[in-house]
Amino acid sequence: MVALGVSLVAVSGVVACQSQPAADFATPVAVAPSSAPAPVRVPVSDGSPPTTGADAPVRLSIPALRLDAKVAAVGIDERTGDFAVPPSVDRVGWYRFGPGFSAPAGSIVVAGHVDSAAEGKGAFFRLGSLEAGDVVTLTGPGGKDRAFEVTARERYRKTAIPLEKYFARDGEVRLTLITCGGPFDAATKHYRDNVVVTAVPRA
Amino acid sequence: MSIIPVRRAATVGAVALIALGTAGAFASGPAYAKANASVTVVHGIPGQPVDVYVNGEKTVPGFQPGKVAGPLSLPAGQYDIALTKPGDAIGSALLTVNDAEVPADANISLVAHLDAGGKPALTPFVNDTAKLAAGKTRLIVRHAAAAPAVDIRAGGEPVFEGVTNGKEGKADLDAGTVSADVVLAGTDTRVLGPADLDLAEGAATIVYAVGSAEDETLDLVTQSITGLHSAPGGVPSGNGGQADRGLSLPWYGVGAAGILLALAGLTRLAVGRRR
Repeated sequence: MVALGVSLVAVSGVVACQSQPAADFATPVAVAPSSAPAPVRVPVSDGSPPTTGADAPVRLSIPALRLDAKVAAVGIDERTGDFAVPPSVDRVGWYRFGPGFSAPAGSIVVAGHVDSAAEGKGAFFRLGSLEAGDVVTLTGPGGKDRAFEVTARERYRKTAIPLEKYFARDGEVRLTLITCGGPFDAATKHYRDNVVVTAVPRA
Repeated sequence: MSIIPVRRAATVGAVALIALGTAGAFASGPAYAKANASVTVVHGIPGQPVDVYVNGEKTVPGFQPGKVAGPLSLPAGQYDIALTKPGDAIGSALLTVNDAEVPADANISLVAHLDAGGKPALTPFVNDTAKLAAGKTRLIVRHAAAAPAVDIRAGGEPVFEGVTNGKEGKADLDAGTVSADVVLAGTDTRVLGPADLDLAEGAATIVYAVGSAEDETLDLVTQSITGLHSAPGGVPSGNGGQADRGLSLPWYGVGAAGILLALAGLTRLAVGRRR
């Protein structure tokens, strides 16, 4: 009886340990832009009103997750000031105010639901299981593809996540995928953490 | 159209720059390491290309009306600024401002334009580069034309009223496109526009009304300052709880049962031994 009891404790202990999320990994991405020294010749631009070109990604595919999701261009939830993640969990949202599909610099941000109470598992349900080297492909306007390779997976408490870094519009170009994770508070219906995956263009 | 050098306008400009410099010095607080000032030059005088000299050095050659040059990154200090006809000697400048104070850390637009009376002037404006909330844009409209007071309307509604030469109206708005026009103050008499302005998120769009109402040369010149964006407040992306990777209840049950069994076994062993 003692042996049975001890073994049951051991089994549950092993399961408990295995259920811990895998450790984060990361390769630092240079964020700081180099500020240009004072130019001798000053750039002169036309004083006509600027236009914001359409550079919206339309699909996101991650073979390792067997994911191929529609990308919606989204902004800010006016009520909360938060990222307006598409309510439909099988869609992911591209932050249309930041760098776009063909951006030469900065962080292209795509966020998606891990799950929802109404619709169940979301497109990014298994985002936290991506490993370094996994391929993420964005499809842009006109069906053009841009392939990225995962270099970092991190988990932060939502109160401590350095969002300025992930929404930077300068520094090396990178794709930033964000969803929820960590312990779930059933009372507030919120996850404690955000899971962030960083991918850089494939060489 | 020719430009007569107007010493008075230049003097006013210089005084304004110095006043600005003084204000900057008082407002700058503790002696941090000072960053360079960012200076943009805007050409709002119709019909007259110029060479722009900064401290005697030709900095923007052949600067055309309606164009925006810069930003120049200038260390804080005093600067002599001169505008000449292209190729002319600096001695025969159209407009000069001497010992203009450029404060550290400031973002300034130096605007060559016509004053209310139609005379050329060089007016410095300090640009508001405070960070914007996510999703917002900043619209700044500056009256730099030989024209009476105007109202600036967006979508037909006045947003800035009674703006006069050398003054500005400023507002932080939701990013997006607005249809803007300029009317004589208090009237529906349109003097400019309508123009569709694509107000980019995280940027300040500065629109200058330039030219002369009398000469029918009124026009708009636009300058953008980017990099004023902020990150969203958060990324809420789940409310189902299915992805909570904590230990699920059945496994806790197995563990608890195991502990109870072990305890029971030990008790029996202890009791058995006592007999």
